[in-house]
Amino acid sequence: MFRSTSGTRRVLLVLCALLLSLVFVLPKQSRTLLQTIGKPLADLVAIPLELFSSADRRVGGVWDRYVALRKVEEENRQLRREIEFLRGQAADLREMAAANQRLGALLRFQANTPSQTVAARVVGRDATNWYRGVLLDKGEQDGIQAEMGVITLTGAVGRVVKTRASSSVVLLITDPNNAVTSLIQRTRDEGIIEGTFEGKARMKYIPLLSTVRIGDPVVTSGLTGGFPKGVPIGTITNIQKDEGGLFQTAEVQPEADFTKLEEVLVVTVPRKIEEPPAVPPTEKKQP
Amino acid sequence: MKPLLYLGLAVGLMPIQTTLLDHVSVTGVRPDLCLIAVSLIGFFGGRSDGLLMGALLGFEQDLFSAGDAWVNIITKAVIGLSGGLVGRYVAHVTPVTVLPMVLGLSVCSGIAFMFAGAGGPDQLAAVRVVLLPQALLDSALGVAAYWLLAERFKRDDSLV
Repeated sequence: MFRSTSGTRRVLLVLCALLLSLVFVLPKQSRTLLQTIGKPLADLVAIPLELFSSADRRVGGVWDRYVALRKVEEENRQLRREIEFLRGQAADLREMAAANQRLGALLRFQANTPSQTVAARVVGRDATNWYRGVLLDKGEQDGIQAEMGVITLTGAVGRVVKTRASSSVVLLITDPNNAVTSLIQRTRDEGIIEGTFEGKARMKYIPLLSTVRIGDPVVTSGLTGGFPKGVPIGTITNIQKDEGGLFQTAEVQPEADFTKLEEVLVVTVPRKIEEPPAVPPTEKKQP
Repeated sequence: MKPLLYLGLAVGLMPIQTTLLDHVSVTGVRPDLCLIAVSLIGFFGGRSDGLLMGALLGFEQDLFSAGDAWVNIITKAVIGLSGGLVGRYVAHVTPVTVLPMVLGLSVCSGIAFMFAGAGGPDQLAAVRVVLLPQALLDSALGVAAYWLLAERFKRDDSLV
């Protein structure tokens, strides 16, 4: 590219030596001279420098972002795990709070009800579609026997039909095979509640002269079955009077929501046996 | 293989039937897993397997049902036996032939329940609300189960 002769090389060497000696002898002036000489060179070099710098910044930026992203990705994963964990905890807490609320209400109800009851949890549904029933986690070990009534806060649920040591089967009042003696609260007319396939109940054998109305509440009569008197069953939604019939029939919307049963009370003794108050022994007065 | 499968079905089917199936119910009607399992056991495993497993699963089902303690034992045993007979005498079996088999068995089972008094006085409502929807669900699920099992178990191998 550039072939210097020995004469030229000597001249260049001399110039360089002079420049260096000038730098040493006259530092201030030499700096100005060097700046003046170096300026075009610097401008020239600045072009590829800028290119390289730009490329370096880009590569550096990409690298930094890649490295940073890897860190962020890890952090993100960690945060996601934490969010999932906290969401799970929040759901657990909400579930516990709801269960606490339900159980608290059930305990208050159990304390206020005049009957002796055993609290049980609904653990499953009837194994066939032909019966509307639920499975409870309490059985004979807990004093539960067949024909006992089952209630919730809202009203009557059904009656126990099968028991085993630690579980039992309850036939709901909405089952067509169930029959519970009932009472229209306002008119005091008696009848029998049985279920329908639509998930409702039907009150049969209402006297023809009864002044039953839509909206009348129906309660248990307490005459048969394991229910105490006055447990809400439902509300009358429709009344049918057959011509020539001896009785009226009414459709009843049950109070309890049978699709959301979670905890129930099994009535072991319909009325609490009142213990006689303890009489303090009377002291015989000495005459 | 076969004893383990039967043991698994005997232990695991009832909890699924009573707890999890509520989430997949259609208009409150759930498929009868025991019926489907018993008919397929009879179909693949033979008449005696179907009969015995039908009686066992039916007995379990009766334990966890509010109904009388014999209806399921008898119906499921008969269903298992019928599945075995179908498997023995039907030459060319496809999902299309399994569909009417399970449908028919489910309908017969439903009629047996109604004769046992499970339907209550309103028989037409029982047919409309329970019998037919359950038969349709059972047959659909039965065909799906057959589809899955047919690849794994050939009838000649009979679950051995």
